[in-house]
Amino acid sequence: MAFLELTNISKVFGQTPAVQDFNLQVEKGEFVSFLGPSGCGKTTTLRMIAGFELPTTGTVVVNGNDVTNKPPQKRNTGMVFQAYALFPNMNVAENIGFGLKIARKPKDEIKKRVEEVLAIIKMESFGNRYPYQLSGGQQQRVALARALAIQPQVLLLDEPLSALDAKIRVSLRQEIRAIQQKLGITTVYVTHDQEEALSLSDRVVVMNNSKIEQVGTPFEIYNFPKTEFTAQFVGTLNSIPATVRHAANGELTVDSQTLVTAQKLAGIADGEAVMISIRPERISFASEGRKPNVLNIKVENITFLGSIVRVQVRAGEHLFLMDTFNNPFLKLPEVGDKVEITFSKEAVLVLRHASQI
Amino acid sequence: MQTAQTLSSRSAPPSRKRNVSFAWLGVVPFFLFAALFLILPSGILLVGAVQDKQGNFTLANFAGMFKGVSLGLVAAPSQANLLGLTFPLPFTVDFQSNSMINAYILSIQVSVVTAFLGGVIGFLLAYAAVLGGLPKFVRSALLTFSGVASYFSGVPLAFAFIATLGRLGFVTVLIRNIFGFDLYMTGFSVLSLLGLVLTYTYFQFPLMVLVITPALDGLKREWREASENLGASAFEYWRHVAFPIILPSLLGTMILLFGNSFGAVATAYALTGGNFQLATILIFRQIRGEVLQDPGLGYAVAVGMIVVMALSLGLYYWLQRRSERWLRR
Repeated sequence: MAFLELTNISKVFGQTPAVQDFNLQVEKGEFVSFLGPSGCGKTTTLRMIAGFELPTTGTVVVNGNDVTNKPPQKRNTGMVFQAYALFPNMNVAENIGFGLKIARKPKDEIKKRVEEVLAIIKMESFGNRYPYQLSGGQQQRVALARALAIQPQVLLLDEPLSALDAKIRVSLRQEIRAIQQKLGITTVYVTHDQEEALSLSDRVVVMNNSKIEQVGTPFEIYNFPKTEFTAQFVGTLNSIPATVRHAANGELTVDSQTLVTAQKLAGIADGEAVMISIRPERISFASEGRKPNVLNIKVENITFLGSIVRVQVRAGEHLFLMDTFNNPFLKLPEVGDKVEITFSKEAVLVLRHASQI
Repeated sequence: MQTAQTLSSRSAPPSRKRNVSFAWLGVVPFFLFAALFLILPSGILLVGAVQDKQGNFTLANFAGMFKGVSLGLVAAPSQANLLGLTFPLPFTVDFQSNSMINAYILSIQVSVVTAFLGGVIGFLLAYAAVLGGLPKFVRSALLTFSGVASYFSGVPLAFAFIATLGRLGFVTVLIRNIFGFDLYMTGFSVLSLLGLVLTYTYFQFPLMVLVITPALDGLKREWREASENLGASAFEYWRHVAFPIILPSLLGTMILLFGNSFGAVATAYALTGGNFQLATILIFRQIRGEVLQDPGLGYAVAVGMIVVMALSLGLYYWLQRRSERWLRR
């Protein structure tokens, strides 16, 4: 039995469905992220786990106990909010000890626990500071410590890094992951940032339009998206209409040029229109070594992005993006040049029928 | 030569012409108004308070405020009276023969009671409208009413209360005719001290609503949810989080209400015809010379009022700043 079980969860606000048919099992100590665009239902689902929203249908079970109708106070979950939500009238130590004070723990025990979690977040000397005296990153670490102090069964984080600047975001997410792994606490993390979700999680739940699109490891989600939405939302993707030339051999045509996919095209007839997707980083110039698929293209644009160089190319009507690692000796074609690009059979994913798009 | 001139002009320091902003023109009327109706009168009061009738420097006006007051510390226990309620004091104070100090005491009593009543009523109304889950139109209606009512004072307010709760007032007659209950048989009178307190409260609580509503709006939903998540009940949330956060605003606004009431004169004068010797009425009479023409003494009493008001406003701003520091994002 999983540690956290969400079964047939749905939530309707008025006439608007916020979450539909949500089923998920999270193992003890697992780090699961809900990833999706704004309004997809990820925060609502998290709030149903915390008890701030009651599901319209379905059950929430934590460690074998059905908590579906229990108030937040009775769930023993620790929540970290996007806007920190530190109590401004209390200093750091009082904020962290608040849950223990409410639980009427002895003062000595509270003091000891506060010192422990301050050490975990490496802010031992900040106990007497007030929230307004801390930076955003420090406030969020205190919020994390406050949630951890009560030793919750499940840690819930609602876009905790969105309000922080890019550098702090990266360092704090590494810190969150390290603390989570050290404590072995079951964690549900909500984010719209794919990089965050992929780098932190054991599993990612991709959501769209109040439903789950795909659940999988970051590797599966990125490399083997099952739906076009997942493929488009996670990472950059070239989506190109193609026609099946010979389904049995995995042959397709794009702009009268033939491509081959390693994917089995079962159930797709020859001549049928489909949509194929190729990640930009899987495409290279044929001059660097040819792979099974080769397309003649024209270079439209070159953008320097630091560690990578993004090249926009055109094959007939279709525009592709291709990424290549930057190095000082890189020789790129000029805009307007006609060259060949190449990619492997495995790089070509047939997502769905073009007629259904 | 030409080159030299060019070099010379190049090496000269850049011109430091200061452009006077025309934006200052916009605030001239404000400064003019403040100078004519705030700074100049205050200056006249301050100068007048330390001058005798011949224009010589004296502190006799301030001494005159305390004429006849005897204070015996721990000498003999006595009782203080606050609007009918008695409190024990460990010392004796005799103000009976001093109308100035009595006027201050009455003004402070009325101001404290109306600030407290207005504060509590205003807070409960604002709480109901902001956090009580009432329909949105209630909030708009309350704020609109408060915006109007907080400035409804002076003669029109006194007349409104006499027309409503006077011996032949609309509500008095209505209650008498419908329920057969004569309000005035209970000893109530709109012209009494209680009537004055009721009338003052009418413009006090709307001010509380207007000032405390933003503070209640500033209570973040996440604070309540975070406290619930950490196991706190609604009472514990209010006790440990919400109330301490809004307390500076609450106290600050009550101090503002105190000052608002302390400085009022027209309402009391119009309602009671000067039956109650509030400090403001006494100043009015001293300066106008209706009782004792001693403008110097009137100025001294007015300076005392300015001190009380300045202390109130100073405390208000200190509490507001403390509250803002907490609530800043």
